[in-house]
Amino acid sequence: MTFKKTLLATLVGAAFSLPLIASAQDSDDITLRMAYDADPVSLDIHEQLAGGMLQLSHMSFDPLVRWTQDFEFEPRLATSWNQVDDTTMRFTLREGVKFHSGNDFTAKDVVWTIERLKRSPDYKAIFEPIASAEAIDATTVEIKTKKPYPLLLNLATYLFPMDSEFYSGTTESGKDKGAIVKNGNSYASRHMSGTGPYVVTERQQGVKIEFERFEGYWDKKSPGNVDHIVFTPISENATRVAALLSGDVGFIAPVPPNDLERVREDENVNLETLSGTRIILFQMNEERVEAFQDPRVRKAFAYAVNQKAIAERLMKGFATPAAQLSPKGYDGHNPDLEMRYDVERAEELMAEAGYADGFSITMMAPNNRYVNDARIAQAVAAMLARIDVTVDLKTLPKAQYWTAFDDHAADMMMIGWHSDTEDSANFYQYLTQCPDAETGAGQYNSGMYCNPEIDAMVAAANLETDRGERAKMLQAVEKALYEDAAFIPLHWQDLAWAARDGVNIAPVINVMNFPYLGDLVIEQDK
Amino acid sequence: MIAFLIKRLFHAFLVMFVISVISFAIQDNLGDPIQQMVGQSVPESEREALREELGLNDPFLVQYVRFAKNAMHFDFGYSYFYNQPTTEVILRHLPATLELVAATTLLIVLLSVPIGVYSAIRPRALLARFFMGVSTVGISIPVFLTAIVLIQIFAIGVTFTPFPSETGWGSWLNDLISTDGGMPAYGRGHELTHVFGTWYTNFAGWDSLIYLVLPAVSLASIMLPLFIRLIRAEMLEVLQSEYVKFAKAKGIGMRRIYFLHALKNTMLPVITVGGVQIGTLVAYTILTETVFQWPGMGLMFLDAIERSDIPLIVTYLMVVGLIFVITNTLVDLIYGLVNPTVKLTGKPA
Amino acid sequence: MSNATTTTPPTHWARFRDSYLFYSFKHDWIAQVCFVIFVIMVSAALLAPWLASINPYDLSQVFILDSELPPFWIDGSDAKYPLGTDALGRDMLSTILYGARVSLIIGFGAVILQALIGVTFGLLAGYLGGRVDAFLMRLADIQLSFSTLMVAIIVGAVFKATFGGATYSEHAVLLLVLIIGLAEWPQYARTVRASVLAERSKEYVDAARVMGFRAKRIMFRHILPNTLSPIFVISTVQIANAIISEAALSFLGLGMPETQPSLGSLIKSGFDYLQSGSWWITLLPGAVLVVLVLVINLLGDWLRDVMNPRLYKG
Repeated sequence: MTFKKTLLATLVGAAFSLPLIASAQDSDDITLRMAYDADPVSLDIHEQLAGGMLQLSHMSFDPLVRWTQDFEFEPRLATSWNQVDDTTMRFTLREGVKFHSGNDFTAKDVVWTIERLKRSPDYKAIFEPIASAEAIDATTVEIKTKKPYPLLLNLATYLFPMDSEFYSGTTESGKDKGAIVKNGNSYASRHMSGTGPYVVTERQQGVKIEFERFEGYWDKKSPGNVDHIVFTPISENATRVAALLSGDVGFIAPVPPNDLERVREDENVNLETLSGTRIILFQMNEERVEAFQDPRVRKAFAYAVNQKAIAERLMKGFATPAAQLSPKGYDGHNPDLEMRYDVERAEELMAEAGYADGFSITMMAPNNRYVNDARIAQAVAAMLARIDVTVDLKTLPKAQYWTAFDDHAADMMMIGWHSDTEDSANFYQYLTQCPDAETGAGQYNSGMYCNPEIDAMVAAANLETDRGERAKMLQAVEKALYEDAAFIPLHWQDLAWAARDGVNIAPVINVMNFPYLGDLVIEQDK
Repeated sequence: MIAFLIKRLFHAFLVMFVISVISFAIQDNLGDPIQQMVGQSVPESEREALREELGLNDPFLVQYVRFAKNAMHFDFGYSYFYNQPTTEVILRHLPATLELVAATTLLIVLLSVPIGVYSAIRPRALLARFFMGVSTVGISIPVFLTAIVLIQIFAIGVTFTPFPSETGWGSWLNDLISTDGGMPAYGRGHELTHVFGTWYTNFAGWDSLIYLVLPAVSLASIMLPLFIRLIRAEMLEVLQSEYVKFAKAKGIGMRRIYFLHALKNTMLPVITVGGVQIGTLVAYTILTETVFQWPGMGLMFLDAIERSDIPLIVTYLMVVGLIFVITNTLVDLIYGLVNPTVKLTGKPA
Repeated sequence: MSNATTTTPPTHWARFRDSYLFYSFKHDWIAQVCFVIFVIMVSAALLAPWLASINPYDLSQVFILDSELPPFWIDGSDAKYPLGTDALGRDMLSTILYGARVSLIIGFGAVILQALIGVTFGLLAGYLGGRVDAFLMRLADIQLSFSTLMVAIIVGAVFKATFGGATYSEHAVLLLVLIIGLAEWPQYARTVRASVLAERSKEYVDAARVMGFRAKRIMFRHILPNTLSPIFVISTVQIANAIISEAALSFLGLGMPETQPSLGSLIKSGFDYLQSGSWWITLLPGAVLVVLVLVINLLGDWLRDVMNPRLYKG
């Protein structure tokens, strides 16, 4: 029994040390201490759709398929799949997989989980396209969609089968074990049985979660060698970084941009960054400003903005300049689209549209939501001043910004968007489709941009199940939006993780921002 | 004495009442709490039901009484951001601030007394005039700027090369006026020692004590000039007094006169001013904690403002109000006890 | 303030030239130096629109590619920007001039407001006495026990929370004048009250009362002029305090927005770049702030010594 004192910023917000008994039974056991900015709110992975919960899902459960670093599908609990007809997909499940409870994993668990997902307030919208799921035999599941649906595999990355037997029945107090209760003390929020590499052994909300490697884990080929994980939330950025630099924790995320240099320069720590998938853009409101209805004006604005300068100077290279919504790797990413930036061309276009003397607009951006958000907005305002557009800029804390955004309170508004399905169509659906309160289309289209032709192209792509064919259609959408200058893309914010030497995070990180810790290798001699 | 106590308590109560009304009013003013609680798809009818259930439709006075009742039990609701009772959040951040204040007070006492006394005894000495000059400059530098300069010099490091660095003496001189940096300037560090409850201390070891140095020096820098000047002025006055002259005449040793008789009489006004300055100190902790990301109440308060975390803002205001009221009452009491000649009623604090 | 006196007709000038004030000024080199620096800084700030090479509010003159250039004595500087540029590529010299202007406007504005509130309350309390006096002085005590900066921070926080960030930054100058004015009036009230108490018992006041003048007239026509010199002395210190308070509030994000920077918000926005080595963005405006406050404080010290008014002790 070794006693080791370590820092744990035990409670969100302050750094406290807590003597911790490392439960290592023998000295060869490998323990990873990691710190995130927040901890999962519950053990019920269907209670909330959020990054922290997905991270937990990947640690204690397995999805049917998961993304690789280069956006391919990797079989996990599903070993193969094939399209039976336009609306039916058949998955063959892995054999010999056991849940933490000891129950065998079978097709009925998948069906049970899909039914539960369709009841979850947070997930039901995403799983809406699914009509039904049926267990053909113990290892075969057939999923039917309401319409031809090309993103079923994307959805399958969110499908972490739960132990149906474990979560069925009622508790002593007569409550349904499978019930999903928001912010409540449901059975599922305190008990867990998945197929994943780690079992939760101890959990104190806001303080820590301890994991132990699941002995019966099915994936014997996984290189992962970590026996214990101690997960601590440290919300203060500087404290989290300090905990890593001092060696109190071995792995942190996110790394705050102001500390990137410090982390990069430290010899005992490795910084890993990936070009992210969250696009930062400005929308131009065509209802508030008549001039924005003229595509030449929108194009002039797009020509006036120098994305590379922002990414290099303001973001210090911690961003990938963007000319479109879809990041590289997405099916809709169109490699032909290039950054415009050409002030002379912008001035010509303004003159053509009859605004040679420019005009005045209002602009709003958050000041604590995205990296350097307020400064980016100021830089864009400065660039627009070059074509005689006077910008009245206001920046707001995020707590107040989204209300303003929903009210379309300014002529140009900043927004960052990450596609939940890791698919381009999600961008179009929320950001560029003609706004329609009933269907929820264009919910975050504060520019009120509306081009029915492009919407039709998106709709067609959403019915195309051939991935290659669909990619072409999505790229055409991206090009059409570019030609129409529907918005001003700025950049994709990069993602950063940092770990002590010997903690090999590089192979397990991905742009979805949930490292596959089951496969994490820690070099033992370090 | 009793009448004085009652009067002070009444004042304290009045102050807390005013603060609570202000706090409650901003709580009421900050938009619809329902919006923070339910999703956007929830229909208006359900929102209205929830509003009724939470008593948000009651008249202002009824709501205030409910708020005051809960406040009596230190129940200010849940922080929107931390999703925990605000009192717990405050309690967690309190030790950091108290330790910073304690370290600062220690610095002030250790430095201001000797310097102040020395400057009074030898007002014309070069060193004394130097101290006075520095304290005039010191009072003109805002605390956050001192903090930034300290960070630049001791945490980041500065390199000056006015001398030819090729030569031995040149590089030696250059090194002399340059600094390497390296002092910790962010947060409390991670070698904290648990005392009890939510109290983890920086005082238990060198590794953690070093984190206190820059914040405490910054915070002390703004209060120090004030105390040095005050002690000097009071001491000068006391030294002119008859009884000191009498003591001198009696042949009592100068050292004894200075440090026993004179200093004792100097301390009285110093304690009063010190007590009143606690308010200023709390304000300055907000600035210092912001610069050093010191996870205390000040930083928490600013974050709460940025996040529009109303329950936490309200709780902070109430707690800080309580601290002020208590310290001010205590200072008055001590003053009254130490100096019975002071008329305890009707005296301006 | 004595520069205002210089513009008065020659007879006044002659009287001023022979005054003790001017005599002591002539013989105090610290006061002279401070006065010269103060005049230079104030005029440079007021003339910012004509002196500055760019207008930092006009974004068309800001080039992001010129961001974070160092001042002229460091390698890599650009002759266009003698004191370097900030993170957005704004010329530091121009930004500082404009920033100092904002700081001074708020400082003077806040002091005028404080003086208005404080003098009125002080006169009322001192002259009327009784309950009015007890109430006003108790209010002043309570506010002072909270410390003026704390009150300013709380009022700022409450304003920001109530109005929302956008409205707050839109009317930041006005709100800051209001916040600092409301936070610091007790200093005036106490001093004026003390002088009034001293004056009230004097014969001329009794005489005026006997002659049947009304309270208002006695207060403003007779007592007030006699309390001017302490008010004058306090005002210098209060301007320095108000400038520091403004800087502190801006540094906490409760003051001027980054788009209309004061010295405080310049220091704040530059602080983020201290770690990456661009110290000038934060330390240059910081130095200007310190010099400005220092000369005002020294002038205040000198004035206090010369005028030796009855100041409220403590």
